Amino acid sequence: MNAPVTLPKPPGAANKLKSTRMAGKLVNDYWEMVWRAKEEGKLVCWYEGSSINPFLEAADIVWVHGEAYSAMLAARHQEGPAQAAAEERGYLRELCSYARTHLGCAVNNQRHRNGSDSAFADVPADEDISAKLPPPDMIISAYAYCSTGQQWDEMTSRLFGKKIPIFNVSIPWIWASGKDAGYCRGQEWEETSRYVARQLEEMVKFIEEQTGKPYPWDRLRELMGNVKKASELRLEAMDMCRAKPAPATLFDWSVSIAPINQLPCTTDIVDYFTNVRNEVAERVRTGEAAVPKEKYRLFFDGIMNWNKLGWLAEKFARYDAAVVAGRYTHMAFWQEPDLIDPNNPVMGMGQNYLICPNNHSSPILIDLIMGLCEKYEVDGIVFHATRTCRAFTNPMFMIAQEATSRLGIQTTMFEGDVADETFYKDELLNTRVEAMLEAIDQKRLSAF
Amino acid sequence: MTPRSEIFEVLAKVCADPMGYARAWKTRTGRRVIGSFPMNFPSEMAHAAGALPLIIQEAEDPITAGHGLLFPFYCGFTRSAVDQAAKGDLAVLDAIMFGDHCVQLLGAADAVRVALPDTRVIFFQLISSMCDPWTLGRSKESFEKLRFELEDFIGEPVRDDAMRASIALFNRGRQAMRELYRMRVEGRVALTAREMQYVVKSSMVMDRAEHLELVEALVASASENLPQPEKRAVRLHLSGHFCQAPKPELLDMIEGCGAIVVGDDLYHGYRYISTDVGEEGNPMDSLARWYLDRNTGVPCPTRVQNDVDWDAFLLDAMRKESAEGMIVLMAKFCEPHMYYYPEVKEAFEKAGMPHLLIETEHESMALEHMRTRVESFLELIKRRRGVARANTPEGEVA
Repeated sequence: MNAPVTLPKPPGAANKLKSTRMAGKLVNDYWEMVWRAKEEGKLVCWYEGSSINPFLEAADIVWVHGEAYSAMLAARHQEGPAQAAAEERGYLRELCSYARTHLGCAVNNQRHRNGSDSAFADVPADEDISAKLPPPDMIISAYAYCSTGQQWDEMTSRLFGKKIPIFNVSIPWIWASGKDAGYCRGQEWEETSRYVARQLEEMVKFIEEQTGKPYPWDRLRELMGNVKKASELRLEAMDMCRAKPAPATLFDWSVSIAPINQLPCTTDIVDYFTNVRNEVAERVRTGEAAVPKEKYRLFFDGIMNWNKLGWLAEKFARYDAAVVAGRYTHMAFWQEPDLIDPNNPVMGMGQNYLICPNNHSSPILIDLIMGLCEKYEVDGIVFHATRTCRAFTNPMFMIAQEATSRLGIQTTMFEGDVADETFYKDELLNTRVEAMLEAIDQKRLSAF
Repeated sequence: MTPRSEIFEVLAKVCADPMGYARAWKTRTGRRVIGSFPMNFPSEMAHAAGALPLIIQEAEDPITAGHGLLFPFYCGFTRSAVDQAAKGDLAVLDAIMFGDHCVQLLGAADAVRVALPDTRVIFFQLISSMCDPWTLGRSKESFEKLRFELEDFIGEPVRDDAMRASIALFNRGRQAMRELYRMRVEGRVALTAREMQYVVKSSMVMDRAEHLELVEALVASASENLPQPEKRAVRLHLSGHFCQAPKPELLDMIEGCGAIVVGDDLYHGYRYISTDVGEEGNPMDSLARWYLDRNTGVPCPTRVQNDVDWDAFLLDAMRKESAEGMIVLMAKFCEPHMYYYPEVKEAFEKAGMPHLLIETEHESMALEHMRTRVESFLELIKRRRGVARANTPEGEVA
């Protein structure tokens, strides 16, 4: 059991962006659409990892991003029934909690749909939204870096009796081999990009087989035009956070992941990020801070702890620490809009899938992170050692070592998880962050 | 002929200190040692390049220096590999090659590259989706890339005829080890699970010609001094444990409880030796074919292949082995195994086949606690025998 927080609790220490409130409505509308899919006679595709949703949306297929559903359940503190169902079937607790939660939804789904003679037969509780997820008509696996993604999709297929068509897109890791290797360059990058693009073309044929219709490429071009614009606005707004005090923090960008990652790619997402960009610009103009008494600027390395998003935003704000950037928010999600050509989008989409924040080996990854730390002038890095997400924890010690030796900044780590809050230890975070902030103070004093 | 006890003494020594063997071999031959990560890199390639191919093994040492590179919630193999690199224990390796995709293995490889800046670490990711129309072609392309990098490292081409010779030698080694497996199932050889592990694990390390000679001697001497198996002993299949070998004391404990291990699909067991590589034609075509065939032969949960079922394979293997139960050995934090385990569990429950899950860890094993569980499991199987006998006409008469 986590110990109660000993910090003073002024309400609303974090001055969150007002414009991101719209994300809540957009997210709710999107999930309502998902839950209605079967009633409306729509095909449903389950997928994880890469943002292949524009391919599906263009073909009028309802898309369900596994991590997004698990994150949504965790953020609403409604992950319990799904995780319990997964555990009951034999999935162990050390398994990726995104996958475990989503597979639990599949177990619940089967349980509620199968006849009373099934071991799975049961009736969902009214409030159990894990059971509301419509079952898939197809599964597409396109997961960068983490082997868990492909296995998770395969097990989903097996949970549904291997009756659901499944398509695999293999997205290789960029190992940085060869002297010309680097971020978005070199022979390895070019060859891997072509390999992924070829598979995406095949994936489109698979989609055509499922819908029985020619693929609507014009619709995809239109959607990718919106994605490109939304991405540019998002990056522009993030860039403005170099200002001191920072007008927005990682927690604002975390709230804004859904609009860039899996919400419908209509002009709504362009409007959303236009509003965000405008508010950030206005804050920069007036000097309004996301953390009113910004004293420290931090980088957050690790995936988000969705059970604790608001909690962490408040906690860091109370420490007068603005978490200005992070690997998860600032190195992913249509991160390179310049690579997207809306008129011929497939290659650029594949390349953006390859730019998942973990899909480059440490020499490239570390350079990118050090660059962000310098750009945003951070005093330290907080590592979220995500217990069941090894994709994120893999390079953490190496990043920490480089941050110290190359930039001379402080680092600290705390343990938590993406969707299983039992791994989160609040007191550990408090003590470690306090120690790091003290060290930063000492360093500043000694500089005078 | 070398007596059996002396053969096992040699094999056990190699298993206990693979790097010691590699150092001695290197001193003796003056040739390169090329390490690889489990489980899919074809060692034949490094052998054809004139090197000693060595599959990096989990060490017995407690993790110390490796704590600074990898978190404790990783499997024992990856933590140990990184720990060995950080301590300088992998210094004998001239290069490391791998092509696997497990997320923990990728993390370990990245950390090993940082810990060993002077060691060439060659990687090209093998496709892990095994039944796509392009899987075979991509596999060949991947092996060609690995070969190209290997040639770049050694500074000369690896010739096709050398590849074919290495493939033939490795095939003979696998065939000899499979013969031991066959003989064990048929009761023509008495080999403990520990001894079988010595046979297979040492083949991942030793000079293959030297190893082959010892295994062929074991096959030839097998009928000597064959003790009668204990009649009430429960015939077990051991499953799981992919990249790392189960600790021999765990195997001893299982058999000490009154079981005999008659089959397995452990990586340090039948999984490693299950499939031969074609000896004719283009060797890169043959390696690509082998990569696909072995997953059909002994399905692996680290791959995805919708048209083969590991659980069905296990039940079938156990039928052929006349195994009465299965112990699943799961290395703690092994994600592929955690994903697939519920499928196995469900299939075994449906088939009425008893199984027991044991999670193993690098540092500590509550062996006494495990012993109680194994004893209860074996007792349960023995009781089922009684029930089965009572339900047969013969049993009813009795």
